[in-house]
Amino acid sequence: MKYAVLAPEALVVALAVVILLTGRLGWLPRGSRAYLPQVTVLLVLVAFGIELWAGAALTTYFGGALVQDRFALFAKAAALLASAIALAATDWSAEDSMHLGLAMPLLAAFGVMVAASAGDLLGLWAGLELAAAAAVVLVSLRRPDLALRLLVVGGVASGLLLFGFAFLYATTGNADLATMRDVLLGRTPTVALALPVLLLVAGLAVRAGLAPFHVAGLAVGVGASPLGAGLVVGLTALASATVAVKLVAALVSIPAAYAPWTYAVAAVAIVGGGAAALAVRSPRPRLAYLAVGQLGWIAAGLATHYRTGIAASLFLLGAFAIAATCGPALLGRAEGGEPTIAGLGAVRPVRAAGIALAMLSLAGAPPLAGFFGELAVAAALAQSGNFMLLGLGLLGSVMSIAATVGTLRVLYVQSPLEEARRGAAAALPAMTTLSTAGAVAFCLVIAAYGVLGNPILGLADQGAEALGLR
Amino acid sequence: MTLAAITTQTIGAGIFSSAFLLSLLIWVPVVAAVAIASMPNPRGRYDTLVKQIAFFTNLGTMFVLFIAYNQFENFLPTMQYEEKVPWLPAIGVTYHLGVDGPGLAMLMLSGLIGIASVLASLGVRERLRSYFALLLLAEASVNGAIVARDMFVLVLFWGASIVPLALLILGWGGPRRVAAAWRLVGYWGLGTAALVVGVLALYAAAGGRTFDMAALLEATLSPRIQLGISVAMITAAATRLPLFPLHGWARDALAEAPAGVTVIVAGAASRLGAFLLLRVVIGGEPAAAHLLSPVLAALAALTIGYAALAAIRSLDIRHAGAYLAMVPGGVTVLGLAAVSPLGIAGSVLSLFTGGLAAALIAGVCATLSERAQTRSVQLLGGLAPRMPNIAWLMTLGAFGLLGVPILASFTAEVMTIFGAMKNQPVGGFAVAIGLALTAVALAIILGRALFGATNPDAPGVSDASLGETWYLGILAGALLWVGLFPGGPKIPGTDVPLFDPGFMLQMTAGVSDIASTNYSIPIPGASP
Repeated sequence: MKYAVLAPEALVVALAVVILLTGRLGWLPRGSRAYLPQVTVLLVLVAFGIELWAGAALTTYFGGALVQDRFALFAKAAALLASAIALAATDWSAEDSMHLGLAMPLLAAFGVMVAASAGDLLGLWAGLELAAAAAVVLVSLRRPDLALRLLVVGGVASGLLLFGFAFLYATTGNADLATMRDVLLGRTPTVALALPVLLLVAGLAVRAGLAPFHVAGLAVGVGASPLGAGLVVGLTALASATVAVKLVAALVSIPAAYAPWTYAVAAVAIVGGGAAALAVRSPRPRLAYLAVGQLGWIAAGLATHYRTGIAASLFLLGAFAIAATCGPALLGRAEGGEPTIAGLGAVRPVRAAGIALAMLSLAGAPPLAGFFGELAVAAALAQSGNFMLLGLGLLGSVMSIAATVGTLRVLYVQSPLEEARRGAAAALPAMTTLSTAGAVAFCLVIAAYGVLGNPILGLADQGAEALGLR
Repeated sequence: MTLAAITTQTIGAGIFSSAFLLSLLIWVPVVAAVAIASMPNPRGRYDTLVKQIAFFTNLGTMFVLFIAYNQFENFLPTMQYEEKVPWLPAIGVTYHLGVDGPGLAMLMLSGLIGIASVLASLGVRERLRSYFALLLLAEASVNGAIVARDMFVLVLFWGASIVPLALLILGWGGPRRVAAAWRLVGYWGLGTAALVVGVLALYAAAGGRTFDMAALLEATLSPRIQLGISVAMITAAATRLPLFPLHGWARDALAEAPAGVTVIVAGAASRLGAFLLLRVVIGGEPAAAHLLSPVLAALAALTIGYAALAAIRSLDIRHAGAYLAMVPGGVTVLGLAAVSPLGIAGSVLSLFTGGLAAALIAGVCATLSERAQTRSVQLLGGLAPRMPNIAWLMTLGAFGLLGVPILASFTAEVMTIFGAMKNQPVGGFAVAIGLALTAVALAIILGRALFGATNPDAPGVSDASLGETWYLGILAGALLWVGLFPGGPKIPGTDVPLFDPGFMLQMTAGVSDIASTNYSIPIPGASP
């Protein structure tokens, strides 16, 4: 029974491997392939259900290398739910390969799950790299050049992280996160600690595509297929944020070593993301910049280094994961810029509602998921007396909301393109029962996340407590 | 008390008792909006049905509101119809709604404005589902902000009105709609940010355990913190009401929006600014209120003076209407600046009458420009004989702004100016001068457009349609009703209300509670 907690991980990995093998070996008859997304989504939802049911047990595996606590439960559940909805809402006619398109999000989700349960630095690194590698594979299908760029930028991020981990290991004499925390308790921050932490913050910011390190990652997200963009903008960033939360928990006794860097990264990301979202018009880059801005809010919550702030960040992280992963999938082919989605509210109302809610949530507009999370983080910032960052954050949010209104206008106020003028890049998303159900599920989750937020915020709070935060 | 005893006091009392009465006012429009947005409408087949759903939703909420108004216990200073459900206990958020006299006055205003805005929108032809869905969402958010008794809930509903209103202007506005919508988003976004800063500062200063409004406003704070919070709140209110110099959105947004949206923005959504000042600054931060009351009086006088002068100089009738719609906000703020029971009571009445007058003048200018097929004041002339309905309603709107006797705004302006003369005599005098300038502006505009010489080069004109007459008539009628029967009509020979317990009685419930926070504040130089 103890290993039932690992069943979601096992199910997700097994499913990904089976899908890859069936794709490679052509086991499935052509007629049955159409049902593959339905079956995959169903099994991911089963994994999600098992996680919620069995994941409440607190336990460790493999000599403490994997830890199951409330934080792991929260992050794993967020990754599974985001993957399930994204896979359901995807317009498969806009993807380059159904098999890889189904398998890679599962592997990315598995990466997040590994990072969330990691008990040591190695697990953190492995989980993050797995999530990022899955994104590279999916991007390479359509744009090998961009995949190469993502690989190089990822290599830089990975290098920074490895240097940081190595320094941290050398300073504390241990790779185990709990022990590291105990070792650092009562120690004053030194340059020897501040430097590796700077490397770690930079590495995670590059990996998550935070401003000002977002140039490469965003370009990739824009050029990839919808699901590929979702992996880069959503799940990879989720993995990075998960690693960041665990590192913050380990370093919480020396906040002076990381809080200034994190505040700076948060401020630049929020304001930069909002300003950039306002500057671009094409929906996919705009969504990606909105995601950058919301990641900045998550970083701001982490920088408070209090339990309430980190719980608020976790709460927001759940909303972010769902909106940022599913948003590009809902957008579908948007390479043609704004005209692609003009008047979508009239011709594809459910999908248009999904896009609108994803962007509004990422912008932090009330009364959606992102608003509740950002206001919770803002409350934590106010409690910690950081009104400067709070003011910058609100400025960024106002810019993000203004940008989103521009896209909503295109969705609902402009007339749709005539059929004759629609090229392949601006084709209307195909409507299937699964994609419609996925879009409806997304709308319900985003709308209900804050309204029914008590258990979610409660779980986030328990997650922060499980990391040893007070 | 038996049912018979209750019904002899007020007709309607005891009929309706719901624990979710205030929630109904928020969520019924939301549900109707979702229903409208998701119903199929091939080739506009169900356009009429969409309008009917929007209209009857508003009528239904007004009916619920009217019963709530009748059942309201005006001898109780406390919140009534309270709903309190824990929402996010980890950060101290409660779904807490409640209403007192001022809140009830605002709700009545919002209900009337809601009906008027739907009637004003009957002429909309394009993308009806989106239009009415957004209109209902905007109304719901305004209602939510009025009844919120938790600061988190207040911020939520306060901010939630921005996106629907901006989209309504962007989608159905006039030629400069894009600039108008961005200005609205910018100014209201800035105001929301200021509100969030103020609320979070209050939350942090009060210990960071709860967002409950009563708990936060009762917290003992140092004058310095009170001052900081009040400055943030005044900034938020000034962007919304609007007050000079944060009025930059008003001209374009009110002039470019379709008539239905103009009515809701000028009449209800913008009044939330003064309501916030009343609730938080005057009712919650007494030291800061006393310190900042000269600033508030100055802002009120500047707003009225600027609006009147700008209206005089306007060559566009809708711009003039937009500027004139700023005047009632100044009067309301002057009453608050008085920080006295009379001034505050006048402000509360002015919230209601000012909302009606602002909506009426901005709405009638919108309808006039549409019916006259021009916005140029230079082309308009001698319209009174050719559009008698609009001429009458515009004249009533002008009287409503100026506070002419028998209209409710007369009582409101007398109370606010009398209230202000004791504590803010300079401000009161300046506002009186501003109102005189407003009278000049109105005389010029009415004289030129309605009673001047007919312009032979002007396009053809037509009088208001039935729907337009009704929406403007409702606004003017409410001003007249409260002006004629401030205490409600009585059964002849008795003190028993006929069916309206009296607006003045209902709206003043709770005012003494708000004003009482200011009694104990020592005024420098005053003898103990």
